[in-house]
Amino acid sequence: MDRRTFLNTLLSFLGATALFSFGYPLLRFLAPPGSGAETHKLTVNKSDILPGESKSILVGSIPAIIINRADKGFIALSKVCTHLGCLVEYDKDKKRLQCPCHAGLFDLEGNVISGPPPKSLRKFPVKVEGDAVIIG
Amino acid sequence: MFKSIRDWIEIRIGLDELVRTQLKEYRVPGNINIFYTLGFIALAAYIIQAVTGFFLLVYYIPSSDHAFMSVQNIMNRVPFGWLFRLMHVVGSNLMVAVVFLHMLSVFFMGSYKKPRELTWVAGGLMMLVTLAFCLSGYLLPWSQLSYWATTIVANLPTAFPVIGDFIAKLLRGGEQVSGITLNRFFAIHIAFLPPILVSIVGIHIFLVRRTGISSPPFGVPDKENNNLTEFRHESHPDGLPFYPYFVHREISMVMIYLALLFFIVTFMPTLFLPEDANTPADPFKTPAHIKPEWYFLAPYQMLKLIPNKFLGISLQVILVAAFLSWPFFDTKKERNLMKRPLLLSVFLISVAIYVLLTLWGLYS
Repeated sequence: MDRRTFLNTLLSFLGATALFSFGYPLLRFLAPPGSGAETHKLTVNKSDILPGESKSILVGSIPAIIINRADKGFIALSKVCTHLGCLVEYDKDKKRLQCPCHAGLFDLEGNVISGPPPKSLRKFPVKVEGDAVIIG
Repeated sequence: MFKSIRDWIEIRIGLDELVRTQLKEYRVPGNINIFYTLGFIALAAYIIQAVTGFFLLVYYIPSSDHAFMSVQNIMNRVPFGWLFRLMHVVGSNLMVAVVFLHMLSVFFMGSYKKPRELTWVAGGLMMLVTLAFCLSGYLLPWSQLSYWATTIVANLPTAFPVIGDFIAKLLRGGEQVSGITLNRFFAIHIAFLPPILVSIVGIHIFLVRRTGISSPPFGVPDKENNNLTEFRHESHPDGLPFYPYFVHREISMVMIYLALLFFIVTFMPTLFLPEDANTPADPFKTPAHIKPEWYFLAPYQMLKLIPNKFLGISLQVILVAAFLSWPFFDTKKERNLMKRPLLLSVFLISVAIYVLLTLWGLYS
């Protein structure tokens, strides 16, 4: 290896190191913290949500809804539409959730009925203990 | 007094020679038309946005707790705050319109062809940066409209597998649009994008000056630029002087632009500010019938029509990429679109589809 090739290789190595030394911290700096939804636990009173009714809640930083289905009991779903992130609204008469942006429709299990959403709404675990409904 | 200052400067920087060589002896084609002034109008529009943006910075507070109120304060309490805010809001829309028109007229006159491919690409990148400015600035008033329009846009990358979610989270700074997103978009709007735009504008102007302004393809024989094997500056020796002829024309057109800007600011101040733009952001309530700005209505409507998110967004990315790299596909010598019925049809149909989708999106 001649002197020039050696210097070029050395400079390339130093350049790559400098780039990585800056690039990795930058990526970590910009990367967002988690939503906190995984560890978040929330309790609501069972009597606050009558059969067929719902209540908007926040699981970590995720807007969600807990619905008391007359036939199947409580379910907690993320309100964030899986299409482009608008918040779905609960239509208790038609027993479904509708996105106001692109008319995506979901059933009360969170499954897509129609429209552009590519997947079901995120579900959060629900446990009923006495008069308490624990989400998360 | 004035003459002695002028002489002092002249001795040091040779202003006379600069004006003579760069303005008076620099020539534009004799058959140049009014559409050639659109680039200068776009530059003027950028400058207006920068100046009004500086003024707004004096009172704007980039925090989710205060942003909305600070904008209301600018509109209602700061003397003439309404003027600078409306100039900024209306100006951003007109700026996009001018950039679109500039791109369309350059396409129509075949000015993107060899040796001006790089000028076209730089112009296309400028258009994308302009749209990025609009997007990042849109969130800053922290209104219902800005919040939910940004939510939709920030979710677009999620259409792409593997890295899509990460990019969306990176943009938002979390799972949802929040105060962190506002800070990010503010930083992008006022610190990240301006140097990029200035650099690309510089490259674009350098390329235009270096190759010379292209002649309109109508009524004069083509100079066979496609046969170029080495660099040649198109100097238009029989053309008109850039100064005073073309500069005066450009300034006249900027006056018309300003007249339109102030007409809208004065007589149609709510044209670009619907009700949701005056309601503070509510992260727990998506308003019904949320719509983006007019220039995004066509892609927005397209997303509604194409049921598959990945397909819808990929198609738009492909269309934009094809538009930007068009000079590398279209290598035919003929620049006059009137003599190329197929390309003319594609051009007209594309514009018609864009207009149709925009109207559809507006009234749906």
